[in-house]
Amino acid sequence: MKTAYIMRKEIRESVLTSKGFLWYILTSVILSVLSYLFLTNSELSLLDQGQMLYMIMNFVTALGILIGVVSGSDAIAGEIERGTLEALLLSPASKTEIAAGKLAAALMNWCIIFVISIPYLFVVGKGGQNLLSGIVYLAVLGTLLAVIFSAFSMGLSARIKSMKNSLIVSFLIFLLAGSPIFLSAALRTTWFGRVLDLVNPFADAINTFDSVVVDSQGFSYQTGRIAIICGYAFLSLLFLKRSVSRLEM
Amino acid sequence: MIKSILTAFVIFLATTVNCSTVFAAGRVAVSIDPPSVQANMGDKITYAGAITNNSDKAVNNLIAYISLANVTPGKEAPMDLEDWSANKAVKVDVIPPHGAYEGKWPMRLIDSGSYVAYITVVDKESAAPVTSPVSRLDIKRILRLNPNNVLPTAIGEPVIIGAVFLFIYLKRRNKAI
Amino acid sequence: MIIKVENLVKRYDGHTALDGLDFGVEAGDVFAFLGPNGAGKTTTIRILTAIIRADSGSVLIGGHDVFKEPAEVKKIINALPESSGYYEWMTGREYLGFFSDLYEGKTSTQDIRALLEAVGLHGKEDHLISSYSRGMKQRLGIARSLINRPKLLFLDEPTNGLDPIGRRDIHDLLIDLNRKHGTTIFLSTHLLDDVNRLCNRIAIINYGKIVRTGELEKMKGKGTIDDIFFTSTEGGTL
Repeated sequence: MKTAYIMRKEIRESVLTSKGFLWYILTSVILSVLSYLFLTNSELSLLDQGQMLYMIMNFVTALGILIGVVSGSDAIAGEIERGTLEALLLSPASKTEIAAGKLAAALMNWCIIFVISIPYLFVVGKGGQNLLSGIVYLAVLGTLLAVIFSAFSMGLSARIKSMKNSLIVSFLIFLLAGSPIFLSAALRTTWFGRVLDLVNPFADAINTFDSVVVDSQGFSYQTGRIAIICGYAFLSLLFLKRSVSRLEM
Repeated sequence: MIKSILTAFVIFLATTVNCSTVFAAGRVAVSIDPPSVQANMGDKITYAGAITNNSDKAVNNLIAYISLANVTPGKEAPMDLEDWSANKAVKVDVIPPHGAYEGKWPMRLIDSGSYVAYITVVDKESAAPVTSPVSRLDIKRILRLNPNNVLPTAIGEPVIIGAVFLFIYLKRRNKAI
Repeated sequence: MIIKVENLVKRYDGHTALDGLDFGVEAGDVFAFLGPNGAGKTTTIRILTAIIRADSGSVLIGGHDVFKEPAEVKKIINALPESSGYYEWMTGREYLGFFSDLYEGKTSTQDIRALLEAVGLHGKEDHLISSYSRGMKQRLGIARSLINRPKLLFLDEPTNGLDPIGRRDIHDLLIDLNRKHGTTIFLSTHLLDDVNRLCNRIAIINYGKIVRTGELEKMKGKGTIDDIFFTSTEGGTL
């Protein structure tokens, strides 16, 4: 219950301050521009509908991760820096309950981003293949990625106790996770590229989207990648629990 | 005399060789349909190419492909059909004597302008490829302002979120002293 | 005895912050905890309030071991930390409501209003904390620390940065709290006027050890509170 109250406070902070709302507005503006460009621009509009849907899904996932990294970094270190964590630690809520409430709020932020993206996914994917299965996969894998990156950033912020530093480190890891996408298609088909793709949860999610939406492959093709993502989610939660239990002012 | 005979022999040889080239080229013919197209950007059209075997022998393993050239004044250039068509070339295994093969080339019209499309057939028995007459293709630019009804979402959603934010912000601002 | 501390040791990166601390506080006391900067006052309060762990030693609060039963301890104590921050986007009422939710015996809306009134924030309860003055925030912090009606209240420099009127109001509030509700107050301060007005017992800490402890009235016979402090800490600055 205390976890729920802490989550509610965090969500209210997101909604009642510019902190969260700017993200929501930014997300909708980015998705508006992308959708409009995809559908009207002469070259992009001739992309396959599934391809467009896949690209929008990638953007939504990246935005979800980004908001998870920012809210995770702020969760503990931000409260320490603003001098508000001590009052929270004085309350009967345990450190684990506090961290769980904050993580749940970060996931709620992802949920809001996901809900914002749904109309765009429908508009862009209308008439194309695999729209509904794409949305389901985005909901599941996006949530798992939000857990991974939010929990990791939160754990890091509890250890480093500096919002700026934990944000820099988390952001670097996010960029590293995204970097294989910039590798050439040829390099990605080598054994090194494949291993790099497989151990990277972000690349795993994106390759799953590609497989489901563009190549219309079934669940049996996705199990390996989903298992790896689940493994990362478990490890990041473990990291958060250990980091928070060691937290000292 | 000998010189005259030699000259006549060379002319005969040259004529024979020339005749066989013409024959080889002439045994396959290709046409393109429709002969001209007027369409809009984004439309999908299909060219049909009829390859006929005019000889008494079957022809094997022909390669036929479609080409597009931009002939818009000032923009003359051959086109890379990468985005225009997924099936640019076909291999025809066999056309029986005096038979025909009809190939289809679907195409998505990516950009506006004036183009010519033509089909080329390569017969390995021939010294030169056979090309169809050109089909003129005029693609009109169209401005699609609201494809897939995207505008209500693209404009509406940021506006709604912004309005909710403004409402909350103004409501909370009243709580400041 | 509501606080019983024995041989408390805390080290940070090789530096000994608390070096075998021993003291006790009786229920109903207003206990002044004095010491120069860096003597270990804030560290002691953080250990006593179960926020950080000690390396060794024992602390009993209301008979509960702080290290083994932190949840039980938190039910009967509360504290106002020295550099307390606030959720500036909340109103005073929302702030207290949030903290009251975290306790089992949730405080009613009427009680929250009464609490805000008691600390002098009546009429400002629905204003954003970002618009509060420093003194108002300090009062709100005190109200927050009273949300669970604690038997034992830790206050770390509660009147720091307040004007004389603000300090007097806080003094009155604490006296009222102690006399009417019997709340034990553990007061860490560097303002000797606070000690004179509020406290009945004092302990002086220096280099992580208690160097003097006793009843204030008895000590006053040996000189002013300033004299006692300076002789105990070899001229240390408060």
